[in-house]
Amino acid sequence: MSQMAGLPTPWRWSATISANLVVAFLVLPILAVIPTSFNQASFISLPPTAWSWRWYVSFFADPEWRASLWVSLQVAALATVAAIALGLPAALGLQRAAPGLRPVLTGLFLAPMIVPVIVSAVSIYRTALDVGLNGTRIGMALSHAALALPFVIINIGVSLRNVDQRWLQAASGLGATPWTVFRTVTLPNILPGLVGGGVFAFVTSFDEVVIAVFMAGYGAKTLPVKIWESIRLEFTPVVAVAATFMILLAAVAFVLARAIEAGRKKAKNTKEDKMDLGVAA
Amino acid sequence: MRRERLDTLLLLLPATLFLLVWFIAPLSRFLSLAFTDQAGPLSTFTTLLSSDVYLHVLVNTLILSALVTVITLILAWPVAYVLTRLKGIYFSLTLYGVLFPLWISVLVRTFSWMLLLERAGPVNRLLLDLGVIRQPLALLFNQTGEIIGMVHVLLPYAILPLYSAMKRIDSRLLLASDGLGAGLFDTFRRVYLPLCLPGLFGGGTFVLLLSLGFFITPALLGGADSMTLSMLISSFVTDRLAWSLAAAGSLLLLAIVLALLALTMRLLPMEKGMFAK
Amino acid sequence: MTARMTGTDNSGLSLRFAGVSKSYGRAVALHPTDLEIEAGEFLTLLGPSGSGKTTLLNLIAGYLAPDAGRLLIGDRDVTNLPARQRNIGMVFQNYALFPHMTVAENVAYGLMVRRRPKTEINSRVAAALALVELGGYGDRAIQQLSGGQQQRVALARALVIEPDVLLMDEPLGALDRQLRRNVQLELRRLHEERRRTTLYVTHDQEEALILSDRVAVMRAGRIEQLGPVADLYNNPINSFVASFIGESNLLPARLIARHEASVQVEVAALRQTLTLPLPAVSSASQSADVPLLLLVRPEHLLLDESGPLTVRVEEVVYLGELTALRLRLESGADLWLRRLTDRKITRGMDLRVNWQAAHLRLLPQT
Repeated sequence: MSQMAGLPTPWRWSATISANLVVAFLVLPILAVIPTSFNQASFISLPPTAWSWRWYVSFFADPEWRASLWVSLQVAALATVAAIALGLPAALGLQRAAPGLRPVLTGLFLAPMIVPVIVSAVSIYRTALDVGLNGTRIGMALSHAALALPFVIINIGVSLRNVDQRWLQAASGLGATPWTVFRTVTLPNILPGLVGGGVFAFVTSFDEVVIAVFMAGYGAKTLPVKIWESIRLEFTPVVAVAATFMILLAAVAFVLARAIEAGRKKAKNTKEDKMDLGVAA
Repeated sequence: MRRERLDTLLLLLPATLFLLVWFIAPLSRFLSLAFTDQAGPLSTFTTLLSSDVYLHVLVNTLILSALVTVITLILAWPVAYVLTRLKGIYFSLTLYGVLFPLWISVLVRTFSWMLLLERAGPVNRLLLDLGVIRQPLALLFNQTGEIIGMVHVLLPYAILPLYSAMKRIDSRLLLASDGLGAGLFDTFRRVYLPLCLPGLFGGGTFVLLLSLGFFITPALLGGADSMTLSMLISSFVTDRLAWSLAAAGSLLLLAIVLALLALTMRLLPMEKGMFAK
Repeated sequence: MTARMTGTDNSGLSLRFAGVSKSYGRAVALHPTDLEIEAGEFLTLLGPSGSGKTTLLNLIAGYLAPDAGRLLIGDRDVTNLPARQRNIGMVFQNYALFPHMTVAENVAYGLMVRRRPKTEINSRVAAALALVELGGYGDRAIQQLSGGQQQRVALARALVIEPDVLLMDEPLGALDRQLRRNVQLELRRLHEERRRTTLYVTHDQEEALILSDRVAVMRAGRIEQLGPVADLYNNPINSFVASFIGESNLLPARLIARHEASVQVEVAALRQTLTLPLPAVSSASQSADVPLLLLVRPEHLLLDESGPLTVRVEEVVYLGELTALRLRLESGADLWLRRLTDRKITRGMDLRVNWQAAHLRLLPQT
């Protein structure tokens, strides 16, 4: 790669080769799932002994798999709406909060990210048991919303930082009420962060396993929960079908997020190194 | 402008209330169960810390996490370095290769390793075909599989902070060192490496924190004797309904995580000061 | 929204600032200040950064709440009104144009918020754009415009709502010199035409001189002196104002004697004892224990073969039409002298210099 300069050739080559290997290590194994789902036989084999769509048919024919997909979609949608409905005002408020209050609020809002997920899962499960919300889609959605909230707040917060306070002052000086200022000036400019956060929240909920396993009960089995159970109980390629759907959803969401990011970059002309760990991914 | 103050509070209220009710309160309630066991307020901790089995789990978790962190950092480095050097389409593709796995469920990523590492799976078959081994390796349901799976899941979390930090290193510093007569190794050792340290530290801590709490990957890829703390907590709840023990274990896990975080926050600003640009 | 909104009164309203102050914790941004601006007047707040001029502007706009005092626009007490109800037009330092709207949408914003009918908005926006010579630019994205054009859009946006007061916060700071000069003259012309009450903030004294009816020189949260530009130039109240408006030589002076109609001072740097009539002594220098300075502006020194000062030319600075000479006095002190360029004076020359006695001023050191 001629783009690399700075190190002498042998070092450069070994760095490039190792990097390629590592990236391959990252990406390829995930793809292993897809061919497995096309296996003709009832056991798992990679590569498939023969190729067939039968397990896809099986998936949609099975009421339990169908239901789990549907539950996952519903829960993710609910969780996303909740995360945005709560996260948008929170991000706005955080920006305006007094400097002394900000660390406390940030700590609270980021807590679901810091606490190990097993601990969160078990504590929420315990409370859900007490109030009868375990095994319900609402309970699951609320728990996922709590998990997604930090990401939504961070994403919108990043967008908000690009909103110049003086635009807001100008708008209000021109006679706009705070709500009008938000609607006509702030909102159009944070739309990428908002939508990006929403996409990320949706995928977070859809992908989520640990909380789901505890909160699923009998009435709210999401797709990951069904996969988890199936892996440990019966192991046919239909599991690979389910996993492939999850990869597909992730891929669509990822492309969407990239598109939003590209749109944001075009509008703002930023440099390439705008990284917020994996959150704005 | 008191109206503004009120508006701000109203904006913050929904999320604050929600998190207090559906996260903080459940968390506190659950953790307090650690102290309410019939046998006494601290009995759960004595049970956990005096039992060989449980101690083994704790130690195993720590060792596993440390091992995974080190391996992950070593693998992350070339990728982060290469990323700082690439431009255009190569950069984007490599970056996407690192970012995309983050969008896929841990479950699916772990599952794919189950497919690859089993005795009759592609990895073993490849090694057999290449003549590297005579018999299929036991790569699954033991610590090896666990580590492979965890490293795979955690790599992006190491690469991104490391890349971020490396990107900020002014290449002119390296040129200056070179211009002053330092050899490659010296420049690396004396200039580049210290400047990478904050990134290494940040990425490493992040990976360490995540791996301590790992549940799915060790559960699916690990063996009977490689139980992690989070698996133990889960087992306490689902298998034995031993809520107080689960709470005690959770408190321990949380304490370790918070201590690590505090340590990092203490050290990192100092690091920034040392290498501040 | 009252009839005032539709702009029957073109000259804007008067503005009165009574005892208004603003502090942040222990830091005082503005000491209790009184200020009156007449309807139709162009007043400039001139001062270095931190002088409180932007704070004062923001208090008038309503972006800051005062700690004390009252603010009146016309006969309306607006002290407790939020910015959006004050009917002010503000032009920001970086224009603060809405990036996601076109030029026309930006200019129309204030009218849209006031729910004017579409036809009215269109015609008024077109008129405003024509006024700032951007007619036909309505559909452009603001990112396509140059700095100077963006500045004019900001001006149009502020003017189209027919504000009672126009506020401008160092609007020309980002423009290059030539463009800035052109826009200054444009603003002057616009003001002569419409005579809208304007409060202008800048740190550039030339700008203040060109644009203003009156100037308030500010420092450290206080108005040091307020008056027509000529007054500030001819009779500065202290050395800060003197050095902020126009060029100045400030030489330490010692008060020797005070008479009924004059004072006598010894100026060590000149090795002279001078008698100055009382009008030349700033009122602030009346108290005896303040160190005094003699102000003699470089343009009021002249080369005179029979002059009392012997100097050597240390530096010749060519400024185009004018040349500035740095002269070293026998006492070792330096004086600046400005004269029309004639290219005959060079470094190292020995000259004799005199001053225009009528322009000497005695000021307190601040």
